Amino acid sequence: MQRDVSSYAIAPSVKVKLLNAGFLSAADLCDLRPLQLSKEACISQEEAVEVLQAVRCEPGQERAAAGRLTALELLGREQELGTIVTFCSALDMALGGGMPVGKTTEVCGAPGVGKTQLCIQLSVDVQIPACFGGLGGKSLYIDTEGSFLVQRAVDLAQAAVEHCGLLAEDSEQQEALKGFTVETILSNLFLVRCHDYVELLAETYLLADFLAQHPGVRLVVIDSIAFSFRHDFEDLSQRTRLLNGLAQRLIQMATNHNVAVILTNQMTTKIWSGQSKLVPALGESWGHAATQRLILHWDGTHRLASLYKSPSQREATVPYQITGQGFRDAPPSDQPKTSDDPSVRQSGSLSKRPRTEEDQSTRT
Amino acid sequence: MVVLRDGMCPGLSEELVVALRAADITTGTWTNFAFQALLAIRRVLLAQHTAFPVSGADLYEDLLSSTAILSTGNPSLDKLLDSGLYTGELTELAGGPGSGKTQVCFGVAVNISYQLKQSVIYVDSTGGLSASRLLQMLQAKSCNIEEQMEALQRIQVFPVFDIFSLLGCLHHFRCVGLQQASAGGGSVKAVIVDSVSAVISPILGGKQNEGMSMMMQVAGLLKTIAKDFNVAVLVTNTVTRDGNGQLKAGMGQTWSHVPRIRILLQRLERPGSTCSSVRTATLAKSSRQPCHLKEEFDLQCWGRSEEQLYGMSGKRKLENTEPS
Repeated sequence: MQRDVSSYAIAPSVKVKLLNAGFLSAADLCDLRPLQLSKEACISQEEAVEVLQAVRCEPGQERAAAGRLTALELLGREQELGTIVTFCSALDMALGGGMPVGKTTEVCGAPGVGKTQLCIQLSVDVQIPACFGGLGGKSLYIDTEGSFLVQRAVDLAQAAVEHCGLLAEDSEQQEALKGFTVETILSNLFLVRCHDYVELLAETYLLADFLAQHPGVRLVVIDSIAFSFRHDFEDLSQRTRLLNGLAQRLIQMATNHNVAVILTNQMTTKIWSGQSKLVPALGESWGHAATQRLILHWDGTHRLASLYKSPSQREATVPYQITGQGFRDAPPSDQPKTSDDPSVRQSGSLSKRPRTEEDQSTRT
Repeated sequence: MVVLRDGMCPGLSEELVVALRAADITTGTWTNFAFQALLAIRRVLLAQHTAFPVSGADLYEDLLSSTAILSTGNPSLDKLLDSGLYTGELTELAGGPGSGKTQVCFGVAVNISYQLKQSVIYVDSTGGLSASRLLQMLQAKSCNIEEQMEALQRIQVFPVFDIFSLLGCLHHFRCVGLQQASAGGGSVKAVIVDSVSAVISPILGGKQNEGMSMMMQVAGLLKTIAKDFNVAVLVTNTVTRDGNGQLKAGMGQTWSHVPRIRILLQRLERPGSTCSSVRTATLAKSSRQPCHLKEEFDLQCWGRSEEQLYGMSGKRKLENTEPS
C-alpha cells in the first residue's frame, strides 16, 4: 500500500514541489538517490536528503507501532511509576495516592487559594526517599509569575525532613535520612524563570533535552500557564492553537520521560444566561488539555479541593488547609457546615467569595 | 497520475520507459507515441485502479453476513445507538471536559474485550488511558484474576501525540492489517481513537494551509479501516458553541460530515449535587434513528456488577429500565 507524500512531516514548500514533479506516494520515492530527486523535483540536495529520510521505505510506521503495549503491560508500568503525595491525606485518597506520574494535572483556583503552595509542596514531596514511600526524584519548577519564594521552600523542606525523621525506624531509613536534608532538597530543585509566552514555549521545546540530561527528574511544575497567555494576546485562535500544541508536547514528555506535569491556571468569570460563574481561564478547549483537573476554591473561610476531571478517580471534594509547615489536612473540628445551613453557600457554586480583613491576616 | 516505472504493467518495458523519459514524459498521460502500446498500457492500468460496481442485493447480503453490532455495556447508550456500535461505521462522541467521553471509551473497550472476547485497538493521544480504571471495571464484572488479565491483554494501546504519528499509525494498520498490528487473542472488532481533536486542533487555522488536508486524510483512513477490516471505529471530539449558544461538535463543518453517528455528552447541572456521575447523551446525527433523542446514564454503571445495577432502587435507574 502506498502512503501519500503529503502525510509525511516535510516542509510544505518542498511538498508542493514534489507533488508538481509527480511524486504522489512514498513508493515513488523509494528507489531514488538524493541527487536524482533534487534534479527531478528542483529542490536542494539537503532538502532531498531530508525528504528521503522522512519517507524511508521500511515504514516509519514501525515507529508508531513500536510504542504499542497491551493494557496489561500498561497496568504494570503505572503501578511502577507511583504517585507524589501532597501531605493532605484526604486529597491523596481522592487522587488515588497522590499526583500521578506520567500524566498532566491542572490545578485551577482563585488568587490566594493555595496553588503555588501546592506546587512548592509537591516539589519537596517528590524528593522523599523511596524507602519512606516517595519517589526520590528531582523537580523542575518553571515560574512565570515570580511567586516562588525560596524562604517558603526552606520552611516546607524543614517540615518534610522532620516528618520523615519521626517516621524513620529501621537502619535503611536512617541511612536515607542522611541524604534527605534541606540542602539536598534545595539542590535538587531546578528553577527556571520565564517572563513571557515566547520564553515559556521555548522552554517546553528545550524540556526534552533537559529531561534526557537529568533522568532523575520526576516532576515538572509550570506556575502558571495562564499568566503569560492571558495578557497581550490579540489573536485568540492563535492562542488556542499554541496552547493545544503545548499540551500535546507536555503529555508526550510526561509519557516518554515518566514525569508528572503540574500546570497552574487562573480563574475567570463567565457570564451566561444571566448568571455569572467562576470557571478556569484559557477557554473551553484548554479544558481538554490536561489529563486531570483539580479546582481549588473557597467555601466561607474553608478551602476545598474538587477533583473535576479524572480518567480513573471519582469526582470528590475534600477540605485542606495551608499551615506554616505547608499543605496539610483540614482539622476535623473545622469541617464546613452542612448544606442546610442557609448562611453557608453551597460548596458546588464557585462564585467569588468576598475577601474580609480576617482572611488577609490568616493567609500564610 | 503515477510515475512510470519498468514492470508496472505488461506493456511497459524498460526501453519504452527510457524512450518516454527522453520525450520528457515521466508520468502517465496521453501522447500519440506508439499508440497501440499505450492503449494496452492504459487498459491494464485502468483495470488495476478502478472500483467495480456492485448490485444492491449483493451489497445487502454482504452487509447482513459481515456487520456485527457491538454493545457498549450501557443499556441507555445502546438504545441511542440502535442497540450498539455497528462495524464498518465511524461513531463520534463529542463533549466538554469532564463529560465522560474517555469513560465511555473505557466501557466500550472493556465490554468488547471481556464480554465478547474480542480484541480492541485503543489509540490514545491525550494520555488519558488509565489501566487501573480498566482493571477496576473488569473487577466489577468478574472475580477471576486470569479472566481479568486475559481481557486486559486483548486491549492494545498505541500512544500517539501528534498528527504525523497518528497518520503513521493508521497507515501501519492499513498496510499490515489489524490482526498483525494487534497480535492479541481474538480478532479486532473495534478501533477507538481518543481523541482526534487533540492532534488536529494545533494545525487547523491561522496561516497553516495543511491542517484541513491532514484532517481529511485521517478521516479517509479511519473510514477505509472501518470498511475494509469490518471494525467499529469510535472517535472522541471536543465541543464548541455556535452563534445561538447551542453545543456542536468541534473541528468545524468539514469534519462534521465525517462520522456516521454523533453523540453529544453533557454533565447534568443539578443544584445541590455537585459530584454526580450522571451524564446526558443526545443523538446529534444518525442515519438510523430520529435525531435529538436524549438519554441519561451513570458513568459508574461500568464499574458496577449486574446485581448492583439492576438491584438499585434509585429513581433514575427505574426510569431507564422501564419498558418503552
